Amino acid sequence: MRATSSTEHSLITAITDALIDGLAAEENTFNSLAISVFKNQHDQNLVYRQYCDSLGKNPSNLSHWHDIPAVPTDVFKLEDYPIVTFPIENTHKTFLTSGTTTEVKGQHHFPSLEFYENSIKSGWDELDLPHPSQAIFLTGSPEQAPQSSLSHMMGVLSDSFAENATWAIGVTGKIDFDKINLAIKIAIKKNEPVALLGTALAFLYLFDQLDSSISLPPGSWAMETGGYKGTSRHLEKEDLYQLFEQKINLAPDSIVNEYSMTELSSQFYTRGLGRPHTGPSWTRVRVIDPLTETDALPGEPGHLVIYDLANFHSVMAIRTQDIAVRSEADLAEGNNSFTLLGRDPSALPRGCSRAADHSLRS
Amino acid sequence: MISTHDRIQLLAEASALPYVEALMGKITAHDLSLWLEAELGNPNALDGFHPHGDLLSKAYAPKYILHIVSGNTPHAAIQSIIRGLLLGSHNIIKLPSAGLPELSESIQQFPSELKGLIETHDELTEELLNKADAVIAIGSDAAIDAIHKKTRPDQIFIPHGHKVSIGIVYDDYKGAADLAARDVSLYNQQGCLSPHAIYVQGNIMEFAELLAVEMEKFTTYNPPAPISLSEAGAIRNLRETTRFIAANNTTTKLWESNDSLDWTIVCESDPLLKLSCLNRCVYVKPLPTDLNVMSLGPESQHLSTIAIHPFKQNTVTSLTELPAHRICPLGQSQQPSLFWHHDGFAPLASLVKWKDIG
Repeated sequence: MRATSSTEHSLITAITDALIDGLAAEENTFNSLAISVFKNQHDQNLVYRQYCDSLGKNPSNLSHWHDIPAVPTDVFKLEDYPIVTFPIENTHKTFLTSGTTTEVKGQHHFPSLEFYENSIKSGWDELDLPHPSQAIFLTGSPEQAPQSSLSHMMGVLSDSFAENATWAIGVTGKIDFDKINLAIKIAIKKNEPVALLGTALAFLYLFDQLDSSISLPPGSWAMETGGYKGTSRHLEKEDLYQLFEQKINLAPDSIVNEYSMTELSSQFYTRGLGRPHTGPSWTRVRVIDPLTETDALPGEPGHLVIYDLANFHSVMAIRTQDIAVRSEADLAEGNNSFTLLGRDPSALPRGCSRAADHSLRS
Repeated sequence: MISTHDRIQLLAEASALPYVEALMGKITAHDLSLWLEAELGNPNALDGFHPHGDLLSKAYAPKYILHIVSGNTPHAAIQSIIRGLLLGSHNIIKLPSAGLPELSESIQQFPSELKGLIETHDELTEELLNKADAVIAIGSDAAIDAIHKKTRPDQIFIPHGHKVSIGIVYDDYKGAADLAARDVSLYNQQGCLSPHAIYVQGNIMEFAELLAVEMEKFTTYNPPAPISLSEAGAIRNLRETTRFIAANNTTTKLWESNDSLDWTIVCESDPLLKLSCLNRCVYVKPLPTDLNVMSLGPESQHLSTIAIHPFKQNTVTSLTELPAHRICPLGQSQQPSLFWHHDGFAPLASLVKWKDIG
């Protein structure tokens, strides 16, 4: 096993601290850490270094996080070129992107999940999200879906915050209504709010099967994530949130949307309708006009590029195929805020809701 | 009712309009007459009964043809309309949501007798579908499937769904590069006759280098149409993913237009046929020794045209077992003959019905 150098060890400590103390909110601190992470990734990851070199970019001629070369998410699908800063045989965990059996899946390898799990917990607290104490998860459990980063995230939330956790989707992929009703009864008895967390598709299937609306205890809330691309279902966010109101009596402001992807280690959140997504202090975003490869003007759409310090062991700069805008208001919020417009229609069908769609449809 | 002879004269006149001629090439009255004869056995088959074996037979065109056309293939739209007009049918055209302004303007300049046989609509209503005796649908497989489900068994249904074309270069790289650049670049690669990949026998890198020179030359004189944000994003994604692989593997190489997204060439050693993201992005790949559906992969089931260079009888014969409906010389991929069987359909004969005496 390759020994961790003292420089790398110091950097791991610095990033761990940044995930706890929020110091990367300060621009100079973030920039300094980002350049150090880039240097480490350039040094330790041959395939990324070769790419950077082909662009003429290296740690000696780059001083701002803006200029760190971002790799397309498709690069995670290239099995012959694993994007890791450690010997691949030291992989402790690999998350796979969702998709049909014939699609090539992206792979994100981790030597340890320390950053990943810290990022989930610290990000949740930093963005002041409610703790899901009485949690009902509309996803497979981490044991059921060990290669799903979403299930793992739900597991971390469960371990960190839940007093009672109900995994409402069994091995058959069907929603277990008895389990949900029991969890709600327990919460009502305890007079505690319920948190329902799952993919947008899982919520749609839940709503399809509810004959009458369910009354949740006061203060209950939901978190939904993922899109519909490549599935038979599609619903505008406004329409989905209307169903939340009709079926489980949750107003839009009681619904959190999570945006992330297997290729990242951090998450972005928004609440209700018409508000931007915001990431934790160790992330930054740019919206790039693909025609010019420069920042899109405020209010103009472009492709989202994400810089995530917690992606320490792969690559911190990711070029997504999602379209977003940064309005003047988003820019005022800081460099980790954007308004998501949706998935680029040219991109191949993928997205974390799809695995659920395939299992739920059967 | 206009006679076939008169319709031919009027159509020859309409075909000389710049927009139509640019898409279809020069079409004379004689060509149209020969075309009818080739497909229906007699140029006057629609006007009266003519010998057919031991019978007398007359062809009847659909009274109403509904053409559902797509925005990315105006040439397919104009071909379809010309076929309907030649048969003397009334042509109902369902335009794509963004319209086809040049097609609509061009129709306005048609002789009034032909204009009277055309109506355009922005929406596909049940009334239009019900009225049609024949439905010609051009578009994605999903769109065609949805339309097919709405048709009746007695309606003639001609689908033109997802198709992909390729080029093959056996020799004479220099001569082939110019022809391939033309086939790839015309109509910004939007049509089903546009090659997504050029398969090369021999040195793929040497050919790709020559192709890059010709793509740039073609762009100088024929700049591409503006592209959408989404299309630009797809090209950037292809370029950066390829750049990543090329940085790590000498068997992959990227050529691209400088400071623009005008054209892109991805040269790679894997022969698997992949769909290009279009807008003048083309793969250059080695020609497999055993050229078949297995070696090209599942996308080859959707082959439309194989454009080859040099165009020789023995090489043509070796390709006829592939699922493609057309094999033509490289450089002519985008200009099929008036007589071609579009996606395997005889475009006039497939639309008519017959009455027999005897």
